[in-house]
Amino acid sequence: MSTETTVCTIGAYHRPATLDDALRILRDVPGARPVAGGTDLLVHVRDGREGAPPALVSLRRVPELCGVTIEDGAVTIGALTTMSDIVADAELARLLPAVHVAAADFGGVQIRNAATIGGNLVNASPCANLPPALLVHGASVVLRALGGVRTVDLRDFIVGPGETCLRDGEVLAAVTIPRPLGGLRSTFRRTVRVAMDMALVSVAAAVAMDGGTIGAVRVAAGAVAPTPRRLAEVEELLRGAVPDEGLLRRAGELAAAGVAPISDVRASESYRRHMTGVHVRRALAELTAGGVDGDA
Amino acid sequence: METREDAAVPLSFELNGETVAVRAAPAARLLDVLRGPCGRTGTKEGCGEGECGACSVLVDGRVVNACLYAALDVEGCRVTTIEGLHDGAGGPSALQRAFVTLGGTQCGFCTPGMIVAAEALLAANPDPAADDIRGALRGNLCRCTGYVQIVEAVRSAAAARRAGADAARAAAGAPS
Repeated sequence: MSTETTVCTIGAYHRPATLDDALRILRDVPGARPVAGGTDLLVHVRDGREGAPPALVSLRRVPELCGVTIEDGAVTIGALTTMSDIVADAELARLLPAVHVAAADFGGVQIRNAATIGGNLVNASPCANLPPALLVHGASVVLRALGGVRTVDLRDFIVGPGETCLRDGEVLAAVTIPRPLGGLRSTFRRTVRVAMDMALVSVAAAVAMDGGTIGAVRVAAGAVAPTPRRLAEVEELLRGAVPDEGLLRRAGELAAAGVAPISDVRASESYRRHMTGVHVRRALAELTAGGVDGDA
Repeated sequence: METREDAAVPLSFELNGETVAVRAAPAARLLDVLRGPCGRTGTKEGCGEGECGACSVLVDGRVVNACLYAALDVEGCRVTTIEGLHDGAGGPSALQRAFVTLGGTQCGFCTPGMIVAAEALLAANPDPAADDIRGALRGNLCRCTGYVQIVEAVRSAAAARRAGADAARAAAGAPS
């Protein structure tokens, strides 16, 4: 419980003040890793789940990576923006309700004050909260390297459990979300057993009604496949359809059939599959009619 | 390979209103520095993974887990631990008195973290409902009390704070 128990094989802890400085350190120190909130990486290094890097590059002091900017309805969230900062932004909550809820229903306040949106995406945990919510809003990530920047659709960013398409020397700098369609509503729901739990199943949905039919629609699920993913077959079923009880039930069944969950210590494959369908049906009920299911 | 001593670097921050200057290794957590070189052992290590909240401290007024916070990231920051929370005259704060009088503490291991997290809540919301309190303390685990007395203590302290320092002393049963 003192410094004596600290496993200390990290050679250096850098605190650059600009992103370019951070990128230069990452280039010059092979194996150096960027760290944002530290809520996962520092624990994993200490308990040996991840090897200790020769250097950590703290991004906490890089102002250009922090904060939410909204321009004409398009939202840019800096990678170091914490869950608490996301939750506190009223305009973001209005434009991106699913993202607001996913950030609010996230650990305890201590974690929300430290955990960042960039860390949540780069960790690429299958059960992370933010990816499904961001996926239904069509988010992209901005990846910066020395002398270069590229923008990648979030669907292509997370490629496997714990794996992203980030290249050596690249840092996730921001998440961008296009201006939502007029009338777009979104929501996020998940199953947990107890407070502080990770999601056993999470579902986000976004719908813009076109008169009595569903116009634009996106549905995404987390913790039920190797990566968070959009449910294209469900979206196809819904697009242009009238959201009656039968349609929503079929959407739930299609979602449950289309995911690929695992059984583990936290939940069984069949339970996760079942709850995916329940959440999809209830999320759509909430967004289309405001209570077809009675539990919206 | 560098040793811990070789890699340690100077670290200066404000701890409970006083400037401290120590040396910290790259892998040191804020918790290690507080309990080690700073000698402030009121902040407890429970799980060491950010699940239990026993190590809750305020960094620039925001409650965080000191077991997850890199020590070197508090350079120049204002850090408040349980030792820094008092009534201004060195006596227990309204929250601390309420935890004692209402049985919000049993074994006491979670108590410093509970009080630090509750302090952050009351700073932002002087009149929290029971659900607000439970939400704000979701990251603080207690294996003794069952939480009922803790929530009651925070409610009582909030009322006392609102009523002012004199009323708070009266609520704790001390002569005014």
